[in-house]
Amino acid sequence: MKITETIDIRFPKTLAEAVRLQASEKTRGKLLAGGTDLMVQWAAGVPIPKRAVSVWNLPELCAIEVFPDRIEIGAGVTHAFLRDAVQIHRHVPALIAAAATVGAKQIQARGTLGGNAANASPAGDTAPALLVTGGSVLLASVSGTREVPLAEFWTGYRQIAARADEIILAFRLPKKGKAQERFRKIGTRQAQAISKVMAASRILVEKGTIRSAAIALGSIAPTPVRLAEVEAFLAGKKLSPKLIDEAEKLAQATVQPIADIRSTAEYRRWASGRLVRDALENL
Amino acid sequence: MSTVQRTWKVNGKPVRVRAPAGRRLLDVLREDLGLIGSKESCGEGECGACTVIVDDEPVVSCILPVGQLADGTDILTIEGIEKKRIGRLIQAAFIECGAVQCGFCIPGMVVSSYALLAKNPKPSAKAIREGLSGNLCRCTGYTKILAAVKLAASRIPAAKRK
Repeated sequence: MKITETIDIRFPKTLAEAVRLQASEKTRGKLLAGGTDLMVQWAAGVPIPKRAVSVWNLPELCAIEVFPDRIEIGAGVTHAFLRDAVQIHRHVPALIAAAATVGAKQIQARGTLGGNAANASPAGDTAPALLVTGGSVLLASVSGTREVPLAEFWTGYRQIAARADEIILAFRLPKKGKAQERFRKIGTRQAQAISKVMAASRILVEKGTIRSAAIALGSIAPTPVRLAEVEAFLAGKKLSPKLIDEAEKLAQATVQPIADIRSTAEYRRWASGRLVRDALENL
Repeated sequence: MSTVQRTWKVNGKPVRVRAPAGRRLLDVLREDLGLIGSKESCGEGECGACTVIVDDEPVVSCILPVGQLADGTDILTIEGIEKKRIGRLIQAAFIECGAVQCGFCIPGMVVSSYALLAKNPKPSAKAIREGLSGNLCRCTGYTKILAAVKLAASRIPAAKRK
């Protein structure tokens, strides 16, 4: 018998039923969405939980709603759905581009936005793109829904701000409006690769001046990170080749890269600057 | 352990399954239903050898717990694709192009090709590469495989194209 067959998996039909299960330690289970991370981790020897609670296809988690200023994407929405939902692409293009680089078609069909966030891998493809929106996460429990800024959501290596009784319900993301977004992922190959470094940016330029800049990197630190120093340096400045040179150097000077099996700290430091350059040169 | 009972449509026929909720779809297909065309290679969702189509989307069956496939789920495996018109075009094109070496990755390659051509009968070269990007072949290059998909697409009747 395969190890995953030993898990007691519950299949709540509604969000109300799911949060009730999660409310008590006696019924609570590891939340299981598309399984593209957990099924692999369990088979590879990560300790398996006694119970799991499936949130795959939970109707309340599968909606996308567009408001005048923001877009709300359910945690259960798959990367494939995002990739193909062309009507929302203009509001969060970096996120859509990121979703289209997760694994390949097969993983995109099962992997969900909420699952990618909850797995909290430093290399989670969608995290930097979520971060640059300046948006928030909605967490549901029996006591209701609370909103946590994405900037406070990833608290450490594979750690998130959700409590054990909470389920990620949706992501509330301000639309980009007139800002420009970009997403770049550097991996060993173009598909089925975990990134060495990736960057997402949302930058508003008016009459040649940068009004606001949000730049986030993934795979570089224990959590996805915003480049606060670089963002502050860019705000209010005229876009010029000299400014881009300086921003690249500042990024390289301020990032604190990790070294692991996928890349070295030195390479990540260098590539971080190049990704900042790439974002600015493409405005 | 929890056991689930599900009724799916597998290759067009109703199939009743009773299995542990966490059993992998690949094991149900190969061991319980005798559909051994889908292969297990990496077993961790990377290589695509176990690709099947679930409700029109290609998925890797080696990391899919069967409890999550509700009653009425439509599953198409390599065995069912052989009976589809586009499936036969792909099969013929793979043979003509010699798009195979050891063959172990080929069922997955054909299933992904089918998933692509069923949605997009006239794919660009880039769309073909993307459509097959979740399928790894370790024997050889991908040139002949990509050529086979292109050849199959060129033979899909114009009426079926966008």
